[in-house]
Amino acid sequence: MMVTTAFMQQSLWALNSAGEVVLLTLLVVRKNHPSYPAFSFYVFVDLTVGAAQLFVYRHWGFDSDIAYRFGWGTQGMVLLARALAVAEVCRHVLSRYRGVWALVWRALVLVAGLVFSYSILFARHDWRLAFPSAYRALELSIASIVVTLLIFVRHYDVKTELQDRSLAIGFCLYSCFAVLNNTLLERLLDDYSVFWNLLGRLTFLASLSLWTWALRNPIFQVDPRKILLPQGVYQSLTPEINLRLHLLNEQLSRFWPAEAKHP
Amino acid sequence: MSHFFYFFFGFVAVLLALLLWSLRSPKKQAYSSLDPTAFQGPDRSHATYLSQIHRALAPADFEFLASRGSAGLARRVRKQRHRIALLYLSSVQEDFQKLLRLARVIAILSPEVGAAQEFERLWLGVQFSLRCHMIRIRLFCGIASLPQLSGLSQMASGFAVRMETAIAELGERAALATELTSSLESRDIRPR
Repeated sequence: MMVTTAFMQQSLWALNSAGEVVLLTLLVVRKNHPSYPAFSFYVFVDLTVGAAQLFVYRHWGFDSDIAYRFGWGTQGMVLLARALAVAEVCRHVLSRYRGVWALVWRALVLVAGLVFSYSILFARHDWRLAFPSAYRALELSIASIVVTLLIFVRHYDVKTELQDRSLAIGFCLYSCFAVLNNTLLERLLDDYSVFWNLLGRLTFLASLSLWTWALRNPIFQVDPRKILLPQGVYQSLTPEINLRLHLLNEQLSRFWPAEAKHP
Repeated sequence: MSHFFYFFFGFVAVLLALLLWSLRSPKKQAYSSLDPTAFQGPDRSHATYLSQIHRALAPADFEFLASRGSAGLARRVRKQRHRIALLYLSSVQEDFQKLLRLARVIAILSPEVGAAQEFERLWLGVQFSLRCHMIRIRLFCGIASLPQLSGLSQMASGFAVRMETAIAELGERAALATELTSSLESRDIRPR
């Protein structure tokens, strides 16, 4: 059983590394890397860290203290690169709409901060779990950022490119799964550690496939120059529209209690 | 199992549900929110039919039918007018959605937007949608009484006419801006 699991782990590791090489090659060959520099950097960092981890595990052993520290330390780097890639996707999707973007990025930062703080507060306060807890809090923040971004996109009915949407979905699913995986690890500790690694790699493979599929073709960019309305239009019209929406809402609210009195 | 376990699983479940909802294709619309025709609408707004709706909901009709006709006829007419009320509710909702779309286009095309205004509108949208669903359920179940709906129509009538004029005015400006934007976009597509 252990041999099979170890073999599967190594196979998945090799498969993920090969997938990352393919994705990086695609990014360069299709000339998509200038459009997604942070994402390309993230894939590169993840690939390099994977190779470095392999070296450390072979040299010092998987269960050594050095391997543990090195593993979590490098995960921090990968996570930082992923956060930059997510920020890049957010910018791609909404930065063309200057006013809305100024509002949305602040909201995203606020959401990320709140989710991170709550995750830390809700974690089990055990020094052995300090790394996994911080890692999980960051993953949850990333997933929340992506979901909040997509809610804003839906709210403003903004058209998004397939590539941006696929990257966002891949990041969100991976982060959500990482949170669940780490929560189970926190609960079951050593009994779960083998599966924790295995399932983590499987999820990454799924996200990697989605990203590779999305970036298989060259990207066409819409010129960021936009005709914007004059500064005063929003300030003069929006309160008026909101007032009208409020009045329509008021009608319904008045209807409701009056109607309730007459069964 | 301790609370932290449920917290993280619950949180992820909510996130995944929201992800699915945000990726769901929006309700079929004949136009996108950045389409100038979205604000043109029919020649007459729904609001201008309010007097007819008001007449259709007048209690005098039911009293007359109850006294002169059969109970079955009165029931049938009541049912039909409930349906009218539902249609009226849909049209009020349509007016609301039209205003929302207009506000979104203005926000998207503005160099600066106000957080308070945007969140107020988001909240109003949620409230309105919930209220409409509640009233619709009551009307569908036949609980709602028509005279009160008639009162709603009277309340709405004055406002609706003003709203129609405003939609036309605001729509013209937003449509002009979106026309300019879409013509620019169609010309300036080039590989990165």
